[in-house]
Amino acid sequence: MHDRLLSPYHPGGSRMHRMPAGLKAGGAAALVVAVVLLPRDAWAGYAACAAFLALVAALARIPGRVLARRILLLEPFVLGVAALSLAQQGGGRVFLAMLAKSTLCLCTMVLLSGTTRFSDLLRVLWRLRVPALLVTSLALMYRYLSVLMDEAARMTRARRSRTFSAGRGLAWRGSATVAAQLFVRSSERAERVYAAMCARGWRT
Amino acid sequence: MRAGVADVNAVEVRALSYRYADGTKALRAVSLVVAEGERVGLVGPNGAGKSTLLLHLNGLLPERPSASPSVCVLGVPVAEPNLREIRARVGLLFQDPDDQLFCPTVWEDVAFGPQQLGVRGAALEERVARSLGQVGLAGFGERLPQHLSRGEKRRVCLAGLLACEARVLALDEPTSDLDPRGRRELKALLQALPVAQIIATHDLELVVETCARVVVLDRGAVVVEGPPTEVLADEARMLDLGLEKPHILRHRHPH
Repeated sequence: MHDRLLSPYHPGGSRMHRMPAGLKAGGAAALVVAVVLLPRDAWAGYAACAAFLALVAALARIPGRVLARRILLLEPFVLGVAALSLAQQGGGRVFLAMLAKSTLCLCTMVLLSGTTRFSDLLRVLWRLRVPALLVTSLALMYRYLSVLMDEAARMTRARRSRTFSAGRGLAWRGSATVAAQLFVRSSERAERVYAAMCARGWRT
Repeated sequence: MRAGVADVNAVEVRALSYRYADGTKALRAVSLVVAEGERVGLVGPNGAGKSTLLLHLNGLLPERPSASPSVCVLGVPVAEPNLREIRARVGLLFQDPDDQLFCPTVWEDVAFGPQQLGVRGAALEERVARSLGQVGLAGFGERLPQHLSRGEKRRVCLAGLLACEARVLALDEPTSDLDPRGRRELKALLQALPVAQIIATHDLELVVETCARVVVLDRGAVVVEGPPTEVLADEARMLDLGLEKPHILRHRHPH
């Protein structure tokens, strides 16, 4: 789970992989904007975008299975948002259009992150003069997400090894403790990381 | 060693005391001198003040630099106006490599220090490649820290310090949680580095094998210092301090 979420990059040497990261990021952004701007019932337009994305996937030699799995993982969020439109009048068509649009955007992002390393995307943001604070925050988040998830997994495992009854209340309380502990440990780690950054000349 | 600076010590600590904000006295009048290129072991039970002492070496402690600093690195007092220079000269290896490796890729992490020092372009590339080569990780630049083993992470941290061309290394528990091979490789690496090293550790065998001198701290004060084969061989005193006589000093037969 954790690896699939955090390593969206699908290693490969295809033409798509070798293309400059800036070009790919720009293309992806343009495609997303175009999809969003398409009129609601422009099904031909949706089909054209889908065909283009299929071509990109083929060029990137990313197996459909891998793509489908990543999209399915994210699709519940899309469904949740799109389902809101069902409540309004004529909501069915809006629902379908929203579903199509968000799935296309999702595919674009999955393909971008599948063919471009996150660190390269960060460098693109850096070159585009996105505020340094934001880029640094993204970089740190990307770096420490896996450390945190490992820590949470270790704590949960240790907790479970000492949990003997199956009571739900107790389990919830256990999870709450793990979450609280994780928060405390993260803020302590943040201090140590900051000290380590200063030790190598940050802000002096 | 250049002529003319030969008489300057790598590290000079004079009667350093430190009290944490909660009132705990962490260091009591600690004095310590480390010559250039010398390797010194710093041992003592948990809470003896080893890490606190190391944090003073590059000015991370005290929080507010004192007007009359008790620490000098290569003749330069550790004070606010010199911090930039001090931090380039003193490489601090933290206990948990995940605290120290904060960049998305190995290359960027090793480049972090030199970049702060204004190194750019080809010179930066060269430095990063050289440092990674020194720790035996040539070609690891594009790897992600989360995909490295514990020993590899530790070596990347070390490369990050070498890339700053640090002349003093302060190492906090460098061999804790390394497997025997990782430990052996790290030991060989430390022995090959021609810079002054202060190694805070519980790994007493490492001290015997790599250091010419050992300093024993207890409750924030230096209790005894001298050659490891003498100091650490005093079994009664070692047990009294919560340490023990290293196995390597028990037998005189070759292992």
